[in-house]
Amino acid sequence: MSTALRDLIANPNAAELELIARYGMLPEDARRERAFEAFAKGGLPHRRVEGWHWSDFKASLPVIETPAQPGTAQDPLPADDAVLFSFTPTGFTWAESLPEGIRVLAKPEAQAFGASEDMPLGALAAALAGGKTKPGTLMIEVTGQDLPRLHFRFSGAGEANFARVQIIVRPGAKLAVSESYLGGAGFTASLMEFSLQAGAECSRTVYQRTGKAEVLAATAAVQLDEGADYRQTTLAFGGKLTRLETRLTHQETGAKATLNAAYLCADGHHADITTEVRHGAPSCVTRQLTKGAVLDGGRGVYQGKFFVPRNVGQKTDADMQHNALLLEEGAEVFAKPELEIYADNVECAHGNTSGALDANQMFYMRQRGIAEEEARALLTEAFIAEALEEAGELEDVLRVQARAWLAR
Amino acid sequence: MDCCGGTDEHEDDCTEVTVKEGIDAKTVEAAKALESENYSAGFSTAIDMEFSPKGLSEDTIRFISAKKEEPEWLLDWRLAAYRRWLTMEEPTWAKVRYEPIDYQAYYYYAAPKSGAKYESIDDVPKEILETYEKLGIPLREAEVLLGVEGAAETAAAAREAPRVAVDAVFDSVSVATTFRKELEKAGVIFMSISEAVREHPELVKKYLGTVVPQSDNFFATLNSAVFSDGTFVYVPKGVRCPMELSTYFRMNAENTGQFERTLIVCDEGAYVSYLEGCTAPMRDENQLHAAVVELVALDDAEIKYSTVQNWWPGDEDGKGGIYNFVTKRGDCRGARSKISWTQVETGSAVTWKYPSCILRGDDSVGEFYSIAVTNGRQQADTGTKMIHLGKRTKSRIISKGISAGKSDNTYRGLVSINKRAEKARNFTQCDSLLIGGRCGAHTVPYVENRRADAQLEHEATTTKLSEDQLFYARQRGLGEEQAVALLVNGFVREVLQELPMEFAVEAQKLLEVSLEGSVG
Repeated sequence: MSTALRDLIANPNAAELELIARYGMLPEDARRERAFEAFAKGGLPHRRVEGWHWSDFKASLPVIETPAQPGTAQDPLPADDAVLFSFTPTGFTWAESLPEGIRVLAKPEAQAFGASEDMPLGALAAALAGGKTKPGTLMIEVTGQDLPRLHFRFSGAGEANFARVQIIVRPGAKLAVSESYLGGAGFTASLMEFSLQAGAECSRTVYQRTGKAEVLAATAAVQLDEGADYRQTTLAFGGKLTRLETRLTHQETGAKATLNAAYLCADGHHADITTEVRHGAPSCVTRQLTKGAVLDGGRGVYQGKFFVPRNVGQKTDADMQHNALLLEEGAEVFAKPELEIYADNVECAHGNTSGALDANQMFYMRQRGIAEEEARALLTEAFIAEALEEAGELEDVLRVQARAWLAR
Repeated sequence: MDCCGGTDEHEDDCTEVTVKEGIDAKTVEAAKALESENYSAGFSTAIDMEFSPKGLSEDTIRFISAKKEEPEWLLDWRLAAYRRWLTMEEPTWAKVRYEPIDYQAYYYYAAPKSGAKYESIDDVPKEILETYEKLGIPLREAEVLLGVEGAAETAAAAREAPRVAVDAVFDSVSVATTFRKELEKAGVIFMSISEAVREHPELVKKYLGTVVPQSDNFFATLNSAVFSDGTFVYVPKGVRCPMELSTYFRMNAENTGQFERTLIVCDEGAYVSYLEGCTAPMRDENQLHAAVVELVALDDAEIKYSTVQNWWPGDEDGKGGIYNFVTKRGDCRGARSKISWTQVETGSAVTWKYPSCILRGDDSVGEFYSIAVTNGRQQADTGTKMIHLGKRTKSRIISKGISAGKSDNTYRGLVSINKRAEKARNFTQCDSLLIGGRCGAHTVPYVENRRADAQLEHEATTTKLSEDQLFYARQRGLGEEQAVALLVNGFVREVLQELPMEFAVEAQKLLEVSLEGSVG
C-alpha cells in the first residue's frame, strides 16, 4: 500500500520518503489512510501550487533531521494557572487532573478530517500524529465557562513533531486557548480543530518562535455555529519556513470571528500567515488585522481570503487589513488579500499596504527631541501592538516579546 | 433574496433579477444594454475566403509563412515556437471554466480570396468595406476626414475633429491601412506586421519577441507559431505621432481562430496613442483569439494603448462566444518612459488577459485603467502586472469589475517591487459590483515588495490617493462612500473620455456606472 502512496508523489525528495516511511510504521486505519492520501496527492506543497507560491515546503524541507542549532526560545506564555498539554518529537503529555467542564478523550484511532485536500499539511499532521501505542487524536470537550486556559506547547529537539487536537466547545461554554510553537524539531506539523457550538466563545492566542533551521506548519480548522464568537491573535517570528494557517467557516447565522496577527521577521526568518474565511451562513462578521515588520534577510507572507457563497453568504460583513513595514533594505513582504464573492448584498473590504514608517510621524517624534532609533522603535511597536489588542490577558506578554525584538 | 432560493450555483433558471438596494439604476441599465441580445456587431459577412488546411501542424505553419512570403528566419522562429508549444500545458490557474479546446478543429489562416492587401482602397471588396462601415470604422480617408456621419459640417469642425488612422484586420489578414502616406511624412511607420516583415525586417527582427518571448506562456507560444496579421508601429525619435492610430480586428469566418501580433515601438522622446477594437459575428461554436501585443518605450517615450474589446460573448445560455486568451505587455525600456493601458472589456465568452508593464527604465511609469463588464454566462479573469525594476518607478492600477447575469468577473493583478527598484510606488484600487445574486466578483491581488523605501497601497487606503480631495468632499457634507465614489468615478471618466468617439460607443454607455453598492 505504501508503494501505491509513494507513487502518488512525483519525484519525492528525502523528506517525503521519510514521511511515507513513518506512515508505513503506523497501525492501519482507514481514516488515517484517507488523511495521508490527501497529503500524498501533492506531496509537500511547493511554489508551483497556488497558495504555496511564496512558501515552498518542498524546497525548504529536503530532509527531515534534527536541527544542529535548534531554537532556544523559552515559552513566554504563563502555564502555571493553565492546563498544559505538551507535545514533543517523542510524544505528548497532559495534566492528570482536569477541572470540571473539561474532558479529554484520547482516541487510539484517527478521526476523519474533512476538506483535507485543501490543507495538505494539516492532513499530514492528522495522518502522522500519535503512534502505535499513543492516541492519534486528542479530543477535548468543553462545557464550562469559568475555566483555566488550555495551553499547548510544541517543543523539544528531534526530527519531527506531529500533533492533532480537536476541541469542541459546547453551547454557551467559554474557553481560552493558547499555543506556543518553540521549535526544536526539524519539522513540526500540527492540526488544531475548533468547533464552537451555538453561543460558544473561544479566544485563541498563538505564539511562534523557533530557530532559523525549523520548518513549521500549524494548521487550524475552525467552525462556528449560531452566534459563536471566536477571537484569534497570533504573534509569529518565523523560522526557516513557518506557516500559520487558519481556515474558518461561519456555518450558522450571526457568528463572529476576529483574526489578528503580527509577524516580526529577522534575517533568515520566513513567516507565513494564511487565512481563509468562508461565510457559509448569512449575517456573519469577520474582522481581520495583520501587521508585519521585517528586517534585512527576513520574509513575511500574508495570504487572506474571504469566500462568500451564493445565497447563504448574504449580509456578510467582512473586513481584511494587512499592513507591513519593511524596516531595512533586503526585507521582503509578499501579500495576497483575496476576495471570492457570489452574493450581492455583502460588505467585504480589504486593504493592503507595505513600505517604510510614515515620514511625517517620524518627523513629529524627532522634533519632540526623541532620537531616531527610539522614535523608530516606538512607532513600530505602536504599529504592531494594534494587532495584539484582542489577546486579552496575554496581550501584555505578547507586547513585551514584540518590544524586546524591536529593541534588538 | 434569490427568487429561486436554490443553492446550486449554476442550475437556477429564474429570469427576474432582484437588484440590491442602493445600486445605481443607471449602472444596472448600462449593464443590461450590454446583454448579448443587444449585440449589434453580430452579423457576418458573406465573402469568398481562402483557408489553410484545418488543424495545426508544421505544415500549417509553413503554409502561413509561405502565404505571407516570409523570410527564412521568421519561419524558423515560428517552427521553434511550435515545437516548444507541443511540450507546454494549457494554464488552468485562472478562475474560468470551459470545455477543452480542440486545437485541431480550427483554421489557423483565413483570408478573403481576392488577396490580402489591396493597392488602393477602391480595390477592397465591397463586402469588407461595408462590414467596417457597419461597425462604424471608416476606411476611406476622405470619409474619415469628414467624419462618417457627416458630423463635421464646416471646415472648422473638420479641422477640429480628431483623425484616426486605421489598420483593418479581417480574420487573418490586414485589408487596409489608412493615412499611411501622411504618417510616413512624419516618419511614423504604420502598417500590418506582414508588410513590416518585408519592408522593415531590421526593426521587426530587433524587437519581435523581446517583450513577450516565444516561450512566455502557452497561448503566447501558440501565437508565435501561427500569428497571422496585426499591426506594426514605429515612431522615430522625438516624434509625436500626428494622429491616433488604431487597429480594428474583425473575426468573420467560421471555425477560425484569430492570432494577431502587434508590435509598437516608440523611440526616444516619441509619443503615440493607439486604439484597438474587436468584434465578431454571433456563432454557436466557440472561436479562439490568442493575440500577442508587445510595446517598447525607449527613453522619454510614451505609449497610450486603449482597447475596446467587444468580441461576441456568446448567447445568454453560454452558447458560442470568443475565447479571448491574450498576452499584452509593455516594456518601459528607457528612462522616464511611460506606458498606459486603458481597457473597456464587455465582450468574449472567456477572457484571460493581463496587460502588463515592465518598468525597467528609471523613473518610468506604468498605468492600467480597466472596466470589465460581464453578463450572461461570461467569464472574465483579467488584471495587470506591474513589474518595478528601475529606480523611482511608479504605477497606478484602477480596475472596476461589474458582474451581472450568471457571469464571473475576476481581477487578478501582480505588483512586484524588485530589490533594485529604489523608491518605487504603486497605488491600486479595484472595486467590484454585483448586479443580482447569481454572478460572482473576485479579487486576487498579488503584492511582492522587496524594497523598504517602496510605497504600496491597495484598495482601502483610497483616501491616501487624494486625501485633500476627499477632505474637501467630506466637508461639503458628502458621506465617505459618496465622496470616494465621486472622486474615483471622476477619475475613470476622465480616462474614458480620452478614447476617441468612434471607439468609445461601448465605453460611453459605461460612464453611468457608479460605485455605490460596491462589495469591496
